[in-house]
Amino acid sequence: MTAKLTRRTALGLALAAPAILRSSRAYAAKELRVMAWQGYADDDWIKEFQELTGASAKVVFVGTDDEIWAKIKGSEGKDFDVFAVNTAQLRRYIDGGLTTPHDLAKLPNQKDVLPRFRDLAAVKGVMRDGKAHAIPFCFDAIGIIYDKDKVNPPPDSFEAFWDEKYKGKILAYDNGEHNFSFTALTLGIADPFHLSAEDMAKIKDKLAAMKRNVLSFYTTPDEALQLYKSNDVALIWANYGQQQVKAMKDAGANIEYVNPKEGALAWLDTWALTSGVQDVDLAEAWVNFLLQKKIGQQLSERTGFGNTVVETGSAGANDKLVWLDFVEDPTKRSDLWNEIKAQP
Amino acid sequence: MIFAGSARSGPAPRLLAVFAYGLPLIFIGAPLLSFLAYSVFTMADGQIVAGFSLSNYQRFFTGAIFLPVLWQTCLLCLAVAALATAIGFPVAFLLAQMKGRRRYFLLLMVLVPLLMSYIIKIYAIRSILGGNGFLNRFLLWTGVIGEPLTLFVFNLNAVLLTLTVLLIPFAILPIFLSLERIPSSYIEASSDLGASNLQTFARIVLPLSLPGIVTAATFVFVLAIGDFLTPQMVGGQNGFTFGRIVYSQFGTAFNWPFGAALAVILAVVVIAVIALGGRLERRHA
Repeated sequence: MTAKLTRRTALGLALAAPAILRSSRAYAAKELRVMAWQGYADDDWIKEFQELTGASAKVVFVGTDDEIWAKIKGSEGKDFDVFAVNTAQLRRYIDGGLTTPHDLAKLPNQKDVLPRFRDLAAVKGVMRDGKAHAIPFCFDAIGIIYDKDKVNPPPDSFEAFWDEKYKGKILAYDNGEHNFSFTALTLGIADPFHLSAEDMAKIKDKLAAMKRNVLSFYTTPDEALQLYKSNDVALIWANYGQQQVKAMKDAGANIEYVNPKEGALAWLDTWALTSGVQDVDLAEAWVNFLLQKKIGQQLSERTGFGNTVVETGSAGANDKLVWLDFVEDPTKRSDLWNEIKAQP
Repeated sequence: MIFAGSARSGPAPRLLAVFAYGLPLIFIGAPLLSFLAYSVFTMADGQIVAGFSLSNYQRFFTGAIFLPVLWQTCLLCLAVAALATAIGFPVAFLLAQMKGRRRYFLLLMVLVPLLMSYIIKIYAIRSILGGNGFLNRFLLWTGVIGEPLTLFVFNLNAVLLTLTVLLIPFAILPIFLSLERIPSSYIEASSDLGASNLQTFARIVLPLSLPGIVTAATFVFVLAIGDFLTPQMVGGQNGFTFGRIVYSQFGTAFNWPFGAALAVILAVVVIAVIALGGRLERRHA
């Protein structure tokens, strides 16, 4: 069909041209807004993903669970399409209507993940009303990092944090929620995530005692490393697990990691779509892309974390792991933690 | 309104007035008002409930930690203000004594740290203060001490020291300006009349620079009391200040209304201090 170029069609083309240009620009400008932890969206992966989809991926990295909550809740899910969140935190996002369930048909790679992550109904917290609100991606345990020169034999229990021997040589983590949970495990309380008022009072006293043994409370792994370098530090409550271990070893620290006998709290990070997701297909393509064996392998090599597709040695076969859960009252724990910190 | 005199007629002054009053209203007034509004809201099941309630303020006055921590924070910041002013005064005095280009060059040098990122400065100070930080290693090396000092390692002393170091430039500037404004004829007259240097300093220079000193102390106090990062970074297990509590309400606790109420209380303290400073200044001006 050859169209004779008349003045009229030429005019038509001239008028249509900006519209055509606009639409192709709109496609090229397709953008995925990702919120992730460092290590979950490396530059080479982003580059490959962008080449595959023709979209651009804009990643905002976060440093704490609270930051994710503040950003997602603060914008009612509108500022991001897909975000990394752990299963403990996930519930309040689902409760708050801040997530969109996944379409598993768009995630073929999820069929080939490790057995324990394959049946999503068996993974605590990711399903709601038969719908998967999050896809497991990465996990790790929160045990103890110890300096091999200063702690011998290696610690096997969280009680080491209360040991007078290490007074002023301990780095703890600045977060009431986790501190109450691990102290509950230390005290032998069966469910560390749902504490009675009585248990809380007991734990508060115990934590106040730990505070007096602590050099400082840190919030980021870099901060802990810097504190370790310029101080006499023997024990670190390793909130960032293997990531922290790797960074410290890379920096030449003579340290080792151990999961204590009481059981280490362990987190499981997932990918969830926000309620404000603009392009579901693109967001699912991102998640499916990251569930490749190659990416899982690289993720573990680079961060030391366990991934959901390839077996790794993130935790020993006999190590007891206690999967983190939403706690009974985070505000209460935060308030009590403030009270502990305010004590002289 | 610096151009008001040159363009007395036409729409320009009015436009300028709109900007002069409008911008502060939008960028200062409105956020403060929203804080005030949030502070009377409440939380229920993780959601912010709009409505009028004074329960947040009630909690501030009845809670076990809030008033004591605020009081300790005020004392800490008073100490920071006193230290920064005490250290800033001689520096400003020396600068004001200098002549010509050199004095403005050195003044600029004093202000250079303000161009650096605040967090980088804290990090730097932290590696100086640590148990085997620069200071301790230096003192050990010189043989002044036998084993590392813990005096400035992650406690309130460290917060005091760090805040002082960070805020000294804010103390130097107003003092320098007030010293510079003292006419040299006063000082000449004083010595002509037989006063010693010390007498001239005590009877002429110091009283005339008092407004600058008060401004400096007010500046430093206000900046220190709003700081929540320094106590976290160098305060260790004891560095808990009011700013930390406010901060935690917006993060961990996700209790914005209570955080807003605490911020309003902090604002009241700050406004009171500024008002007091202003009054003192007027009395000495």
